[in-house]
Amino acid sequence: MRLLLLNLFRKPLRTFLTVFGVSVALFLFCFLEAVLEAFNAGVNMADASRLVVQHKESLSFQLPLAYKSLILQTEGVTHSAGAVWFGGLSQEPGPDGKKNEEFFPQFAMDLASYLPMYPEIKIPRDQLENLMKDQAGCVMGSKIAERLNKKVGDKLTLRCTIWAQPKGELWDFNVDAIYTSASPTFDQTMMFFHYKYFDEARIFGKGGVGIFITSITDASRYQEVASQIDSRFQNSPFETRTVTEKAFNMSFVSMLGNLQLLMRSIGTAVVLTMLLVSANTMMMAARERTREMGILKSIGFTDSHVFWLLIGESMAIAMLGGIFGAGSAVLVANVIGYNPKPDFFPVFYLPARTLLSAFLIVAATGLVSGLVPAITGMRLKATEALRSV
Amino acid sequence: MPAIIELIDATKIYHKGGADIRTLDEVSLTIDEGDFVALMGPSGSGKTTLLNLLGGLDTPTSGQVLVCGQDLGALSPRELAGWRSDHVAYIFQAYNLLPVLTAYQNVELPLTLLPLSRAERREHVETALRIVGLSDRMNHRPDELSGGQEQRVAIARALAMDPRLLLADEPTGDLDAHSAQEIMNLLTTLNRDHGKTIIVVTHDPKVANTARRQLHLEKGLLMIDTQTSVRV
Repeated sequence: MRLLLLNLFRKPLRTFLTVFGVSVALFLFCFLEAVLEAFNAGVNMADASRLVVQHKESLSFQLPLAYKSLILQTEGVTHSAGAVWFGGLSQEPGPDGKKNEEFFPQFAMDLASYLPMYPEIKIPRDQLENLMKDQAGCVMGSKIAERLNKKVGDKLTLRCTIWAQPKGELWDFNVDAIYTSASPTFDQTMMFFHYKYFDEARIFGKGGVGIFITSITDASRYQEVASQIDSRFQNSPFETRTVTEKAFNMSFVSMLGNLQLLMRSIGTAVVLTMLLVSANTMMMAARERTREMGILKSIGFTDSHVFWLLIGESMAIAMLGGIFGAGSAVLVANVIGYNPKPDFFPVFYLPARTLLSAFLIVAATGLVSGLVPAITGMRLKATEALRSV
Repeated sequence: MPAIIELIDATKIYHKGGADIRTLDEVSLTIDEGDFVALMGPSGSGKTTLLNLLGGLDTPTSGQVLVCGQDLGALSPRELAGWRSDHVAYIFQAYNLLPVLTAYQNVELPLTLLPLSRAERREHVETALRIVGLSDRMNHRPDELSGGQEQRVAIARALAMDPRLLLADEPTGDLDAHSAQEIMNLLTTLNRDHGKTIIVVTHDPKVANTARRQLHLEKGLLMIDTQTSVRV
């Protein structure tokens, strides 16, 4: 072990540069994984016991609000809440004092039915009571509230790009509540407000909703329940298509096309580069020490001693790089909470499974990059090694 | 004295560039325990090959090499490594110390293969360094020592394992006359006072004269053995 550590720092600059190379590559890998995680945030926050009922043809068509009572009559359904995508832009001043229109997800909701379906959403009791009493009230996620510098009691004005009201494009809300969530995958950049307030004010589409979010008693029976709901509305003017919340959210991610494949390809290229950097260093280190391997063998060290010495050195370099790289990524994404595009990524964090993948990649890099020199060193005859200069 | 080494028709053939090179040709000899032997001959005569066979670093193409009662040809590479650490120690012309380790750590290195406590290892290392007269340089790295001192550390490393057989491949080849004499005096003491069997490969007649017995090799054949005073 002592020899391994001493060999590691024999050429400190080379070791430092290799460790730095591996750590930069691993940081990039972790960061890309965090971006992919952000893309899939909606999918990950979905619960298996929640279904989404939408128009059979397209999300752009509405369903009658009256469907709610019919959906609730379906066996196995416990709650159902109509929701409409609002598509508004905030009208708050930016850091420079000028008006800054910022986009974030907003939904007009049947809040009384919606909130019980989402135990992930935490709202203080007094705020919830105020929200339910105030028709113009809204609840904002803690992250978007922080970003827009809003607190309970403030006013919020949105300019809607879809829904107009007789008095114009601007919609005013009272920030009655701010929700948080213990789940790192739950989007805390959304805003919900009362459907009734919205429906009374809009000048078209009255009485319609975009989707019904529906909870069921037994997640394993989702196909049966979905099929019962859809068959109930078959041959009606508004036929439905019921899918799981996960599948619904996934359909948005798939709209990004092969972006995920592209990002995974970049991640793979980064990992391969890391492997080559590490392998090159180990090759050089082993070649320089051919004679020393002969010395070790001549004084009684076995071939496997030499093999593990070189593998150990390679693993140590990769692990050091891994600790610095993954550690920096955790620091940036999870501790400091840096989000490169807060209006695009509702959630930006490094999940534990990415860290596990990073650890496995680093271990594999250490093993693979050390394998060739270690096998060469192991096979080397002491007499040949001692002759080398 | 009983024989510590017995070679029976030992032959070593290397295959190089499609040709067979016979570096040792049916060499037979016996060396007694406690002997001090100088192995001489021109370059390419097979001296180092013979030394490597005796130290278990190489195996004969045919014939038998028995050292300390063990037929080395019958051992696997792993068993040979263990056997080497128990019975034989090498001293090289180029000292062959590990540059990252201090004199103390270099001497301690082969001892880490044995089931010894740290205190026991320390005792062995300090004794070996005291014998070679380097107790005051134990924390120096090889690049902080002179050539003669480096060679003495190499001898201490060899001694630390308390081997029965010391194999030295031109141990004074890179040293000035004064340092060379010191090393030969040290080897003589180890042979005389500590009973080590020593085999030294050398070109230097002065070094060879220090030994009690001289063997001359030529083109892989054992030509002269001064013990028998006849050409073989």
